[in-house]
Amino acid sequence: MLRSDTPVPQTFGLHFSGNAASLDNWAFLGTCLGIPGCWPNNCCSGQALVISVGEPHSKMFAKLKKKIAEETAVAQRPGGATRIPRSVSKESVASMGADSGDDFASDGSSSREDLSSQLLRRNEQIRKLEARLSDYAEQVRTLQKIKEKLEIALEKHQDSSMRKFQEQNETFQANRARMAEGLALALARKDQEWSEKVDQLEKDKRFLTAQLQEMKNQSLNLFQRRDEMDELEGFQQQELSKVKHMLLKKEESLGKMEQELEARTRELSRTQEELVTSSQISLDLSQKLEELQRHYSALEEQRDHVTASKTGAENKITVLEQKEQELQAFIQQLSIDLQKVTAETQEKEKLITHLQEKVASLEKRLEQNLSGEEHVQELLKEKTLAEQNLEDTRQQLLAARSSQAKAINNLETRVKELEQSLQASEEELKRSGDVVAAREAQIRELAAANTESSRAQQQALALEQQQAERIHALETQLAGLGRARVADLTATEQELRKLEQENAALKESKNECECSLQHHQLELKKLKEEWSQREIVSVAMAQALEEVRKQREELQQQAADLTAMMGEKEQSLQEKMEVILQKEQEILQLKKGHDSALLQTRQLQSELEALQGLRAEEATATREDLLRLTGQERPLVLSASKPHVTSRARQDPEYQLPAVEGIPNGEMGAATDLGQLQKEKQDLEQQLLEKNKTIKQMQQRMLELKKTLQKELKIRPDNELFEVREKPGPEMSNLAPSVTNNADLTDAREINFEYLKHVVLKFMSCRESEAFHLIKAVSVLLNFSQEEENMLKETLEYKLALKAEALSLCQEGRQPIHHVVMMLDRQAFKTVPRRADPPASAVKSQLSEAGFFQLPFPVCKFGFR
Amino acid sequence: MGGFFSSIFSSLFGTREMRILILGLDGAGKTTILYRLQVGEVVTTIPTIGFNVETVTYKNLKFQVWDLGGQTSIRPYWRCYYSNTDAVIYVVDSCDRDRIGISKSELVAMLEEEELRKAILVVFANKQDMEQAMTPSEMANSLGLPALKDRKWQIFKTSATKGTGLDEAMEWLVETLKSRQ
Repeated sequence: MLRSDTPVPQTFGLHFSGNAASLDNWAFLGTCLGIPGCWPNNCCSGQALVISVGEPHSKMFAKLKKKIAEETAVAQRPGGATRIPRSVSKESVASMGADSGDDFASDGSSSREDLSSQLLRRNEQIRKLEARLSDYAEQVRTLQKIKEKLEIALEKHQDSSMRKFQEQNETFQANRARMAEGLALALARKDQEWSEKVDQLEKDKRFLTAQLQEMKNQSLNLFQRRDEMDELEGFQQQELSKVKHMLLKKEESLGKMEQELEARTRELSRTQEELVTSSQISLDLSQKLEELQRHYSALEEQRDHVTASKTGAENKITVLEQKEQELQAFIQQLSIDLQKVTAETQEKEKLITHLQEKVASLEKRLEQNLSGEEHVQELLKEKTLAEQNLEDTRQQLLAARSSQAKAINNLETRVKELEQSLQASEEELKRSGDVVAAREAQIRELAAANTESSRAQQQALALEQQQAERIHALETQLAGLGRARVADLTATEQELRKLEQENAALKESKNECECSLQHHQLELKKLKEEWSQREIVSVAMAQALEEVRKQREELQQQAADLTAMMGEKEQSLQEKMEVILQKEQEILQLKKGHDSALLQTRQLQSELEALQGLRAEEATATREDLLRLTGQERPLVLSASKPHVTSRARQDPEYQLPAVEGIPNGEMGAATDLGQLQKEKQDLEQQLLEKNKTIKQMQQRMLELKKTLQKELKIRPDNELFEVREKPGPEMSNLAPSVTNNADLTDAREINFEYLKHVVLKFMSCRESEAFHLIKAVSVLLNFSQEEENMLKETLEYKLALKAEALSLCQEGRQPIHHVVMMLDRQAFKTVPRRADPPASAVKSQLSEAGFFQLPFPVCKFGFR
Repeated sequence: MGGFFSSIFSSLFGTREMRILILGLDGAGKTTILYRLQVGEVVTTIPTIGFNVETVTYKNLKFQVWDLGGQTSIRPYWRCYYSNTDAVIYVVDSCDRDRIGISKSELVAMLEEEELRKAILVVFANKQDMEQAMTPSEMANSLGLPALKDRKWQIFKTSATKGTGLDEAMEWLVETLKSRQ
């Protein structure tokens, strides 16, 4: 509220007359000068407006706005509540002290009796003052002049101020309309923008949540895959181990085979050796056979020979027998010859006897005949020859006879010999027959041996063949085995390779999966980050929105304020007009009652002084009071103090006004002035009363606040009390009260330990279904991360599911209770999910493994590859 | 996953326990109400640091009733318990006119929570046995209840120590919960 009173420039003129400030300047200042007025008591009296002096008009509005902003900021400060800001700063004290000489003290408590006594006192003073009065008269004259000038200036100023006011009003209206329009437009635009942005954000959010869901699904899939991978790896390892086992077995069998082979080869070599020996034997045997054959042939030859000799011998025998016969015949002939030879010998002996008789007859005759002596000598010679012949013949005969005998003997010996030889030959024959028989036996034997040997040979051959066959078979077997081994080896190698490939492939796929997992995780993280960023952004946007909303409200309020101000201005304008009229009247009155006023001036002067004293007292009292109060309220009010100081400071010149005014008026309309003064006094009294009331209210409030603060202090050791319970003005209580149940928990690191203890104890001791609801509280209290919270949640869910399943099993009576408990224990022990995010399917599969086939949901089975 | 398990529960047990939160400023009588509901007796209570949870059976309906401590320092933890809540019993001290504003702002802040969007609100204007107690309509106005939209709410004047008004309130709650299902 602006009030431009006419005495203002006077006041300042008085103040600054020594400074020789030009009147034009003052007029200008007067237009710009804002003098604080009192706000209605139900309003916040702290919202006094201050417009500084000497500011250009354009700046004035900026300043005004700023001030309004400050005011509203102050008003919005929590704890501002319904407090009536008041302050006595050093500045104000100083200013008051400086102005105290010119101050007119108005006393709210003074009464009429006091006044009368004071008037008596003042009469005395008036005498003293009379001296001054002449000065005053002079001053009055000068003041009259000044007044005239001022009147002119006032008129000018009034006109200009009117014009300016109108202009201001118009511009303000226009500005206001424009501003309101602009604001409405901007607001609409901003609203639209924000709604769009919010829509966008929501869309983003939906998209992100979808993505998140997708990611979760993906991660679930990944976990499944990981499980699969694990399983596959297990299988693979099993298979590998199997293959290894097989390989080992094969190798073992191979070794056995090799050993067998070696044994076989050894056998073979042995058999070959045997073969060699047997072939040697067979060779030997064949040699022997040959020999035997030769022998045989020799023996046959011999036999032939022997048979030939036998036949020869037989022939000889026959020949010999023939010879014997011949010899017997010869012998017979020879015996016959012998007989004949004997017979002849006998005849020859008869002839020899006859011839001997004749030789004796011829000898007798020779003796008788001797001359015949030559014939008897020839006849004796012939006798001697005949005798010699006879002797020869006899000898021959004898020789023949001995030879004969000899021959016979010879023959006989020979026969004997022959017989002997025959016998020998017969023996020999016999022997040879024996020999032949033996030989024949031998031959037979040999033949048998031969056949046997041939058979042996055959056998040997057969054996050999067999051996060969066997060897061949063995070789083929060996080759087969070797091939089989090679094939086996290749097969195993291939298998191994295949497995390795598979392994590699699996590893690759695993790596891929891991990569993708990591990728996904990264993506997830990124998305989360993005999400958090978005959230932050959205929070920031929300905050901005809130701010904008606040701004809008502020602006609206400002607008309202401005309109109010406008109204007030208009009112003030009217008031001013009235005041001006009054003043004019007053001036008229002053002119009229100049003389009569003198007395009253004295009276008034004395009254003035008394009032000054009283006012000073009252001022000091109120100041003290205020000081005390502000001392109590200082933490609460400090921020709100400044405007009040200024307002107070503005009040002071107002208080001065009647005093200053009173001096020139003293000569003139003192009665009216007295009435005015009384009115003002009453006003002041009323103000004082109101202030006292407000002080009381404030004190009550203080007490309440203290109570609540003490309560708070019991709970909170730290000095958050000023932050927590501070309330903004009552009109703001709906917007920013001390709502604690949605306070930001993340910042409050200092958690209530007892609360934490209680919650954790309950969490550990209560049923699972209750504990489930406590997870969040525990997580918030212990500042768990989202993963930790989820892990806790899933663990509990899993336990719950197990329990529920066990319960259903027990109820159905399918399993005995202890069995179920055992199973549960085992399962719980084994399969409490340790990973951050185990898929539900894992739990399900575990359940199905545990024999929970009666689950109502389909057990998810996933194939490999 | 929660849905999956809850479906199991519902298939196994047929009915789920209703989850009810008892909230309100400190000293409003929440704990007394909880035990009055559970055992039907007035028990001596101390300020709840933390919470109490009890299972209350009423008309064959099982309620898991959570009484959360209402002191200023632990009020921020209320929202840790909001999820899956079927109904909220908001207890207000009818004689505490000074703090009705705080009570209102706490209530408003609580009702803004998304997790409690579907929760039924029952306001207990407690301590009606005392003199100078606010009437339910007065309290409803000072709590700004008529301005609530999209919310099933009802205010009952109760006295936990005398046991009056609790049965009507629970009756209404049961009926509302049943009709909602």
